[in-house]
Amino acid sequence: MESEIRNRPAFANIRITLDPGDEVVAEADAMASMSASITMTTRWSGGVLRGIAKRIFGGESMFVNVFKAEEQSELVLTQPFPGDMECIDLKGTTMYLQPGAFIACDPGVKLGLGWAGIKMGIAREGLFRLKVSGEGRVWFGAYGGIFTREIEEEYIVDSGHLVAYEPSIGVRIGMAGGVISSLMSGEGLVTRVTGPGRIYMQSRSFGGLAAWTNAHLY
Amino acid sequence: MHDETFFTGGVFHESIEGGRSGAQIELGHDRVQAVTGDGERFFVQYSECQVDIGGYNDRMVFCRNEDRSLTIFCEDRKYPAALAYAAGGLLDEQLQERRQKLKSQNRRGHGMVLGVLVGAVVLIVGAYYGIQAAGVAAVKAVPVSVDEQIGQYSYESMDPGGAELHDEVVVAAIHEMVDRLAPHAALPDLKFEVHIIQASQINAFCLPGGVIVVYTGLIEAAEQPEQVAGVLAHEMAHATQRHGLQRISQSLGIAAAANLLIGDVEGILVLGSELFQLASINSYSRGQEGDADAEGVRMMHAAALDPLSMAQFFEIMKEQAGNLPAQLTWISTHPDHDARIISIREQMGTLPPQDYQTLDLDWEDVQSRIEKKADE
Repeated sequence: MESEIRNRPAFANIRITLDPGDEVVAEADAMASMSASITMTTRWSGGVLRGIAKRIFGGESMFVNVFKAEEQSELVLTQPFPGDMECIDLKGTTMYLQPGAFIACDPGVKLGLGWAGIKMGIAREGLFRLKVSGEGRVWFGAYGGIFTREIEEEYIVDSGHLVAYEPSIGVRIGMAGGVISSLMSGEGLVTRVTGPGRIYMQSRSFGGLAAWTNAHLY
Repeated sequence: MHDETFFTGGVFHESIEGGRSGAQIELGHDRVQAVTGDGERFFVQYSECQVDIGGYNDRMVFCRNEDRSLTIFCEDRKYPAALAYAAGGLLDEQLQERRQKLKSQNRRGHGMVLGVLVGAVVLIVGAYYGIQAAGVAAVKAVPVSVDEQIGQYSYESMDPGGAELHDEVVVAAIHEMVDRLAPHAALPDLKFEVHIIQASQINAFCLPGGVIVVYTGLIEAAEQPEQVAGVLAHEMAHATQRHGLQRISQSLGIAAAANLLIGDVEGILVLGSELFQLASINSYSRGQEGDADAEGVRMMHAAALDPLSMAQFFEIMKEQAGNLPAQLTWISTHPDHDARIISIREQMGTLPPQDYQTLDLDWEDVQSRIEKKADE
């Protein structure tokens, strides 16, 4: 099975070439086009209760679609908002994804929902996050471009820009500067991440878009 | 005894494709070793191990070699104790120091979360009162003509619930009351306009700008004309204190208040009149009702009309409440009349002496004309 992320970064989509017998698990509604020979089955995302929990708390669908190829075929997956996509290869490792970021994965990847904590809620990163672990590829998307960084010492990410991070990353909320400068600068609360580990960030944030839109409504 | 030596964890090293891999962690007698799924082995001697604790859940233990090119990590709850035991006390000091550092960071973090939550509550409460204060301030800066336009728009587009009564005696009686009170209104330039509506409901209200609507049911229910004057004083006070515009500005928010100030009056007029039609006309806030009572009492006193009449009307309403609940509209939109009677009596105790004069009206004649019109 080969995959390629095309039309990056603004309108990225994933083109997967499936060999006979290959399977891909994808977020419901992620499919943009596919060969007619592919069979698609829908199942609860991790079971009924977990599926419902993912819908309510994880920003993901209750269901996932499993695409299975009977012969050489093509599958194109996309996301509902403009932005880049990334593929990571899990080797018995774990990655946390922010709500709504997950697009697809190999069948060997386990999807779970984890409590992110009050601190992430306050930092407007969501109270829950998706936990992907096991062996295989995971595709996820972001709003805007995606950039990554290997974290060793402390690093600051503005709220709403963190997309994915490894469990070895420590996350704390803090202010960008002093109390006054944090309020006046418009940066407010930020997430302070510590390594070792890798984080993925998005170059735009939905919160920023919403605030900008709101400010231009009148 | 910590005899567990195998754990699930991971390893960071540049020789691994992607730089990281899940691994089985093995605690040997002099080293911690990681074996990846591909069978690659990495180890760090306890004697050179630099320990750190962190990760998302603050319980991941990292062992790094001297040049920090290799990191072996594990999040298992039993791992720290097992590592300390396997290292024979070599790592105890580092583990202890890292735990202390983590505790201190967590304390700061919890303090920050608490601070943010308290700050958010203060901000919300502050914003609530700030919007109210901004609404009042904005209303003061807006010309009274805006109140008058909203009142006119609202009255012209509303269904008052009955035909207007033009009987000269009844109209003259109500005008007599308004004329007696108007010179003592807080807004001297406000022109009051009276409409008497034929309907059995015991109700009266005043739209912004001084458009007063009195229902014949209220006139019939009053034992004395001064009691109707008391209700009118209360309703006129809503207009003079500009409660309607305050309510609009608070409902529509600061943006609307700002629009009023910068001159976008047209949009506010439409929104304001719609708001008055959608909502119950008299549903002012509890605070505004109290203010209108106090101002009504002041106006009655200044006009040499006994403010006690206002309290007497409340008492009549109270007595009739059991018999005619559906028709007691004025009372139902003005809750807690027991408390209001007490409040009026208390306020009267603070007023200077006044020689109260009754209204020179043939009240029986006024009421009989209403009855006669109803029979027609």
